[in-house]
Amino acid sequence: MKIGLYVHIPFCRCKCLYCDFPSYAGCEAVYEPYTAALCREIAGKGGLFSHGTDTVYVDTIYIGGGTPTLLSGHCLEAIFETLCAHWRIERHAEISIEANPGTVDFNKLKMLRSLGVNRISFGIQSFDDRLLRVLGRLHSASEALQAVKMAKDAGFDNLNIDLMYGLPEQTVGDWRQTLAIAIDLDVPHISAYGLKIEEGTPFFTRQKRGEISLPPEEEDEAMYDWVTEYLPAQGLVRYEISNYAKPGFECRHNLKYWRYRPYLGLGAAAHSFWNGRRAANISSIREYIGKVQSGEGPEAGWENPEKDEAMAEFIFLALRTAAGLKHEEFKRYFGVDFGQRFAAEIIQLETKGLLTKNGQSVKLTPLGMKLGNMAFAAFIPDKP
Amino acid sequence: MSTNHIRNFSIIAHIDHGKSTLADRLIEYTGTLSAREMEEQVLDQMELERERGITIKAQAVRLEYTAKDGQTYMLNLIDTPGHVDFTYEVSRSLAACEGALLVVDAAQGIEAQTLANVYLALDHNLEIIPVINKIDLPSAEPERVRHEIEDIIGLDASEAVLVSAKSGIGIDEVLEAIVKRIPPPRGSDSETLQALIFDSHFDPYKGVIAYVRVMNGRITPGMKIRMMATERTFEVTEVGIFRPRLTNIAELGPGQVGFIAASIKNVKDCRVGDTITDAEKPAAKPLPGYRKVTPMVYCGLYPVESSEYESLRDALEKLKLNDASLVFEPETSVALGFGFRCGFLGLLHMDVIQERLEREYGITLITTAPSVIYRVYKTDGEMLEIDNPAKMPPPQEIDHIEEPFVKATVIVPNEFVGAVMELSQEKRGEFKDMKYLETTRVMLTYHLPLSEIIYDYFDRLKTVSRGYASLDYELVGYQESRLVKMDILLNGEPVDALSVIVHRERAEYRGRQLASKLREIIPRHMFEIPIQAAIGNKIIARETVRAYRKDVLAKCYGGDITRKRKLLEKQKEGKKRMKQVGSVEIPQEAFMAILKMD
Repeated sequence: MKIGLYVHIPFCRCKCLYCDFPSYAGCEAVYEPYTAALCREIAGKGGLFSHGTDTVYVDTIYIGGGTPTLLSGHCLEAIFETLCAHWRIERHAEISIEANPGTVDFNKLKMLRSLGVNRISFGIQSFDDRLLRVLGRLHSASEALQAVKMAKDAGFDNLNIDLMYGLPEQTVGDWRQTLAIAIDLDVPHISAYGLKIEEGTPFFTRQKRGEISLPPEEEDEAMYDWVTEYLPAQGLVRYEISNYAKPGFECRHNLKYWRYRPYLGLGAAAHSFWNGRRAANISSIREYIGKVQSGEGPEAGWENPEKDEAMAEFIFLALRTAAGLKHEEFKRYFGVDFGQRFAAEIIQLETKGLLTKNGQSVKLTPLGMKLGNMAFAAFIPDKP
Repeated sequence: MSTNHIRNFSIIAHIDHGKSTLADRLIEYTGTLSAREMEEQVLDQMELERERGITIKAQAVRLEYTAKDGQTYMLNLIDTPGHVDFTYEVSRSLAACEGALLVVDAAQGIEAQTLANVYLALDHNLEIIPVINKIDLPSAEPERVRHEIEDIIGLDASEAVLVSAKSGIGIDEVLEAIVKRIPPPRGSDSETLQALIFDSHFDPYKGVIAYVRVMNGRITPGMKIRMMATERTFEVTEVGIFRPRLTNIAELGPGQVGFIAASIKNVKDCRVGDTITDAEKPAAKPLPGYRKVTPMVYCGLYPVESSEYESLRDALEKLKLNDASLVFEPETSVALGFGFRCGFLGLLHMDVIQERLEREYGITLITTAPSVIYRVYKTDGEMLEIDNPAKMPPPQEIDHIEEPFVKATVIVPNEFVGAVMELSQEKRGEFKDMKYLETTRVMLTYHLPLSEIIYDYFDRLKTVSRGYASLDYELVGYQESRLVKMDILLNGEPVDALSVIVHRERAEYRGRQLASKLREIIPRHMFEIPIQAAIGNKIIARETVRAYRKDVLAKCYGGDITRKRKLLEKQKEGKKRMKQVGSVEIPQEAFMAILKMD
């Protein structure tokens, strides 16, 4: 049995204005105790999973955040040592870390490489200093370029950069320029996310007050159209709604989410999916540390989705990928024939031009990807 | 028991003035129910009635009261609905009584609805006992209310009973007043049977249970009876009284109130207001006042899922067993498929039926905007009664159209008179009368089209008077109006279920309002949807629902799939009540949009 591990580092130097992820700024004092608690959870769970009858192998690790690279070399070392000591990590496992430009220097990158990290993902968002300021990012475009170059020099050949579009004051021209710079950088993986303004963020408040002006829908759509057209033309294949990679550089860890494979989340607010059960750790750092220290366990909540809910999850996750949903896999998980069970939904979505099928699989059309929620919602079970 | 020891009475009150609470106290005080059996609003048994705090069906209860004179009296309380929709039921309940308690809130004073019911009671020559309730409220002004009763209704209120039903103050005085002031029923044992049906309900085992007041003669199990209006004959299986649960007794004599069961399978055979007589020795004349109840408001009811059509029919039939005033017949709509055109006594009645269908029978419904019955005179001399705008003949075949008008009585504090007059004018009202009830309160009388009342007159009235105005209305007849049918086209296709009949001069305004309301309600689709309002071939308003450009969750952060599923569930939930018409999905509320405009 192979699983992925997600390790959450909930710290940032400064909170970005659009961010609603569980991450906190100004907590330098708890970096050490958090690392200690995290290591304890890693060790404990590792022991649990290594003693089962099934041998559990870890084939992907994803250190996400937050900004994991804010932690000292010493803390990062401790985390990796604990991982290696308590889990069976495959020789060719994909080990990713998230980083922000300005939080890594050449030495730290070298050190990460030497710890076994073989994939790095930079939160760059834009190569336009004006837009970076709008987003409340701390780095500049030139720092971003420099960070990517340093990473390459340090031996990272599997790199991702995160970019965002649909930003306040952004035009299609700005977006084209950012993408062109990204292509010039020659990275093998790009994630391109449309901005969604989430409740509870400063952007949300500002939008309500009318203080930020998002691009008009036509403009937003044009940005979406451009990225979906331009990156594949440059050799980066769109393998998921927002993800593009040169062949062979798809993120194996993220694919687990979309392919309904098991993963364990470690650290505050981390999510797990194991044996059909979805669980989340407590998101408050202080409570997380307290619970782990007391031996109580940091899980905050869990659910076993009903079969129809589980099927819906499987479907909308699979449909996010370019490969789509494979009948055979669906049948293997649920013992149900997808084509028969959802015949009506399939026909309806096909008629609308959102879905296409062949003998083995069902996938979203380009239009279907653009209007994905409409297609996904069709498979959500009716509530009584 | 001789009739001398019987008192039959009703309680007349405006909504919230404390009728149900007073009834509860009377039941409690006389020990009719033990404290344990006592629930609040014992008489309002229907779940909906309790929730809304209103009485929909009339109910009755027999109280035994030993008065200060040492004698025991049988007091029959016949509860009446307090809403204008159910005026006929009120009238029949009052016909079964010799007296009524007029309950007036000591802080609020008399309201239009109360007034209407008091006049009904006076028409039936009832002895009216004014009861001023809620006297323990800090804002209570019993003296002012006493004067109001005298000035407005012309009743002697010097002996009005001051009570607080909530705190139980003055309940014994109410009971004494009932015994002393309400006359015992007259009626003779020796005459042939005449009993008034004032209500009924359907029992799955016993058939229709008729609630009756015996005027003359006796009624016993085994007796053959005849319904004088329907001329149907039945054999009585049970007679009994309300305590308040049904309790069998051997017979009901003159003056008594109770129920009979006679294996009656259909409420249609046992109509409220009809007279029951002895089939073998029938009375020469029925009791006065019977009329067939006719619905005033019609709307289409359609199941969202067309597969629920049969269940909807079954549910309507079951509701009709208990409610003879509900009428329905199958109809089809191009847009909505198979459904029923249903007639109701009024908007509240319509609301209640809809809610019961959804709640008790689990049917998700689409309701079309309510319509009155229009009389359409065609150029060929034919007259059509149209209860559905979609059935309106083409304009060139219409000579003229008449619509029902009501006499509306509004009681309002004088500072709002101007606003109410303006509103009534705007609603095509014809001013009839204005009377000062006292220095600060005014009674206005208007003739208004019924369609305006069901449209939004009442809501607007509440708004312009900050909730102080009360309204009562009665049908006065039909008048000619310049009316036209306005169609709504979605994506170029007329949607018959959205057609409305409007006054010609207001058509453009309504058309624009309706189109813009629909633009808010109709969700975005993959394509642009033009919304047009049209009279005949002439487009009078146009709006557009823009197409969806992009709608997809960009990121599945850190494996939190549950949150994504919840978001999609919300999106799906919103689609549940939508009806696919052509290529457009129309939410249920769109069909009622005409009522929801400012």
